[in-house]
Amino acid sequence: MLPPWTEIMQYIRKSPKRQTVEVLRAAAARGRPVVQPRCGVGGHGEMRTLLTTLEQRGRPDILTITIDSFTRLKQFRSAAQTLQRDPAGLNGYPLVTHGWRRGRELNELVDAPIEVRHGSPDPRELFAVALASGFTSFEGGGIDYNLPYSKDVPLARSLAAWAQVDRLCGVLAETGVIVDRELFGTLTAVLVPPSVSLAVCLLEARAASLAGVRCLSVAYPQGGEVHQDIAALRSIPVLARRYLPEHVEVFPVLHEFMGVFPRDPDVADALILYGGLTARLGGAAKVINKTNQEARGIPDAEANVAGIRTTALACTDLLDFVRVDEATVEEETYWLQREVAELVEPVLAAPDLSAAIVEAFTDGRLDIPFSASVHARSEVIPKRDSTGAIRYLGAGRLPFSRPTLRRNEQCLRVDRASLSGRLIDEIRSDINFFVQAETRSQAARLATRAAPTRSAVTGPGGAR
Amino acid sequence: MTSRNTQRTVIIGVARSDAHAVANHLIAMRLREAGFLVVNLGVCTPLEEFAEALSAHPDAEAVLIGSLNGHAYEDLADLPALRAAGRLHCPVIVGGNLSVGSHKDGDERERLLRLGVDHILDDADQIPLLLDLLHAARVTPLTGV
Repeated sequence: MLPPWTEIMQYIRKSPKRQTVEVLRAAAARGRPVVQPRCGVGGHGEMRTLLTTLEQRGRPDILTITIDSFTRLKQFRSAAQTLQRDPAGLNGYPLVTHGWRRGRELNELVDAPIEVRHGSPDPRELFAVALASGFTSFEGGGIDYNLPYSKDVPLARSLAAWAQVDRLCGVLAETGVIVDRELFGTLTAVLVPPSVSLAVCLLEARAASLAGVRCLSVAYPQGGEVHQDIAALRSIPVLARRYLPEHVEVFPVLHEFMGVFPRDPDVADALILYGGLTARLGGAAKVINKTNQEARGIPDAEANVAGIRTTALACTDLLDFVRVDEATVEEETYWLQREVAELVEPVLAAPDLSAAIVEAFTDGRLDIPFSASVHARSEVIPKRDSTGAIRYLGAGRLPFSRPTLRRNEQCLRVDRASLSGRLIDEIRSDINFFVQAETRSQAARLATRAAPTRSAVTGPGGAR
Repeated sequence: MTSRNTQRTVIIGVARSDAHAVANHLIAMRLREAGFLVVNLGVCTPLEEFAEALSAHPDAEAVLIGSLNGHAYEDLADLPALRAAGRLHCPVIVGGNLSVGSHKDGDERERLLRLGVDHILDDADQIPLLLDLLHAARVTPLTGV
């Protein structure tokens, strides 16, 4: 049983802790992103230990409780059974099963505010328990927590469930409690074209702000080409001003590379540092760190501490000397914002936003690649160009203008006839982009050892 | 564009307990490029749904089932029953990553073949070739084989 509404409100208002929204505001004002790890284990004692260890040794500004798959799918009985039998068999913390009292215990255990991260198409019970626990930061949305995670939940249903959460946030905002609602632009985490990520988040953000949400974090997944990633992050506040009501606060967030990660811990650490740097150059308010155990599965606390510290290091003034080619960023920005406009404006023009979103996905005018759900067509074919930037090889039924399509074609410069036989291999190697960087660096090291005089002349530049 | 009844059709999907979407989409893409009508049932598809798809597309040349999580045997346990009921009468091809888990690759292949799986592929690139071979055998049946 949850405590009464007035008691929950009182608990949150009386909390001496800084709320997530305040941490984000301070980060945005400072111009340096704060760092947040992902973390969640089944047992309550283990979760306590994990949070304290990360806080004491990594000092992240925001902490996380990642929720297990059973709870995400509202299989609360399975979550309870597994918790009793084998808590280590859960891939996250079953908050609904543990209940709000234990939630509050976790909340009071650490200084950093806690965000609940999950992947649920219908999060209503989870949100209620999270709120009763005092957590005022909650990830997800009706599109982004449905299509990448569930096979057959109709979008109308997930959008309606999330609208209820967002309306509750609206009611809370009126009484002065601001819930940070983070949108998961990472989607399927595999070669997501930046304009797809931003378009989905903007539509969700618009729906959320109409429901009364005042604070939105828009998360964008690091693609790996720095100019494109910076353009995307810097576009978030611009697009928010264009498409969202003025009173809504929007914070850009970077998710460090979410695709296939290098196995070599040193190469993984380099990629993590690169992620933190990208976040800072792009003006993100927050960056979610990866760990050098990513290729192996769920990381231990040790690796997570290292990931937090490496990321935080990249956000200090250590790397302030780094400059990027601003003309390239500007060009990327122009085309990215144009693509986003072509995707979202027809949907925003409709009288019923939720119905328009459902219809656009049915028709393929909105689409995501590699969807797990049957409710997206996944006709979009992404491809990296020679710089590593993610382009549309096939735009499916997305309503792009001719110049947009031409620009993508020009960037890719592929001979489609000769590509068709190799298409799967090419896309696979695009997916394995950073694993291949790892392979190249290993090969280069071996070559140096074998022929030191020649490699000094050749250098690593020819690797591409 | 060829009309529907002359276009070669295949049914593809990922096994019941498996949510790996990427390879599934890539294979669908490759087969469509090769001119197939691809009925893609997507991730987490029970065998029963493959059988239903086959009755809706009785001219399908094969059912292709991907499994990457090491649970192919459990996920395909209904195959003998469905075959006995006269369903899933076309060739069933399984591919992916079968060696995850307690069973070694060789054992796992043996077990799957005993269930009634007709072909096991290690490499998605072999799919068009195998389909062509099966197609040729169907169009011009070899006598005495």
